[in-house]
Amino acid sequence: MSTDLELEAWREQWQAPVEEPIPAELRRKVERQSRLMKIGLVCDALVTLVIGGGSTAWAVMSRDPGMALVAVASWLFLAAAWMFVIVANRGIWEPTAVDAATFLDLSVRRCQAALTGVWFAATLFVAEIVFGLSWAYLHMEGRPPIARWLLFGSVRIDIVWLCTIVFFAALVWYRSRKRRELAQLLNLSAEITPKSM
Amino acid sequence: MRSFTGTDAFPGIEGNTSDGETLDRASLKQQFESILAAHGPALSRLAASYTNTLSDRDDLLQEIVFAIWQALPRFRGESSERTFAFRIAHNRAITHLSRARQQRVDPLEEIELYDPAPGPESDYSQRQKTENLRSAVRGLPVAYRQVITLTLEGLGYKEISGVLGISESNVGARLTRARQLLQDAMEKRK
Repeated sequence: MSTDLELEAWREQWQAPVEEPIPAELRRKVERQSRLMKIGLVCDALVTLVIGGGSTAWAVMSRDPGMALVAVASWLFLAAAWMFVIVANRGIWEPTAVDAATFLDLSVRRCQAALTGVWFAATLFVAEIVFGLSWAYLHMEGRPPIARWLLFGSVRIDIVWLCTIVFFAALVWYRSRKRRELAQLLNLSAEITPKSM
Repeated sequence: MRSFTGTDAFPGIEGNTSDGETLDRASLKQQFESILAAHGPALSRLAASYTNTLSDRDDLLQEIVFAIWQALPRFRGESSERTFAFRIAHNRAITHLSRARQQRVDPLEEIELYDPAPGPESDYSQRQKTENLRSAVRGLPVAYRQVITLTLEGLGYKEISGVLGISESNVGARLTRARQLLQDAMEKRK
């Protein structure tokens, strides 16, 4: 395209009357998600302070090498979680333009990030449980057989399993909800995006 | 978008005046309305290129329109009405920009509601192109944004020079650079 034709084309596009039709429900959803993401970020920072700071303080005060290991592991888990938050949420904190296509694309990408987050959360939880239980077992005096300890060891172990069941049930529910949401968004996207594009 | 088709939005425009002043006022009002009728959409686009949200655009547009009304009695026709209106608009936009940089607003808090009625294919494509262009223009440095917005509104070098208070050769140099930057930005958006 010659530069003058290009300028003329830009001039036409620039002066074209445009309305930015954003479905109200989509707009509210994106707004709500943005707020929740910001709240989530604050919660993550608080968890980092409490878990990371707490385990470090405990390790320093107790001068126990075992607690130092817990503190190091806590920081590693926290670092992994932060890495995931930063990478998964890159480019989805807020829409780059005020139009339906951008809002829809953002919602789809947020949904996909949430689904990836489900797998990450499950993996991280398993890693933490494995570490926590291994650490607790190895630091026990007069260790019973591991299978018996894991199944009927104590009320604390029972609570760990109960929390695990609740956590995974919540993850399964959240994943199915997000998959349904993603399907709806992709349908909406197909409706408003012309097939030629 | 708010429309500014009259002086109703500005209390004080109609005041207690003598007969001579009333005539002046009537003529000013007529001139004001003719400027808005001729250049309202262009002023709105210009306001949009300096703001990120629809309500910000409307606020800036209102400031521009009010500034035009205030400056109109001093307008002696040294330049065209278009140059006069755009010069005021650009000055207001720069003031708005410097203020906005001091108090950044989350765009999501300001997005307005629209009907969920997708247009036909050509409308969608046109909207996308226009939105891409407007976003790309919004991303340009102010010196280049000023020149390109005025060029896209159809102003020539001489008029742009009059609006911005820079030489015509400077307008040409800025426009060349602005087009390069805009081409790059548009290419990235493809």
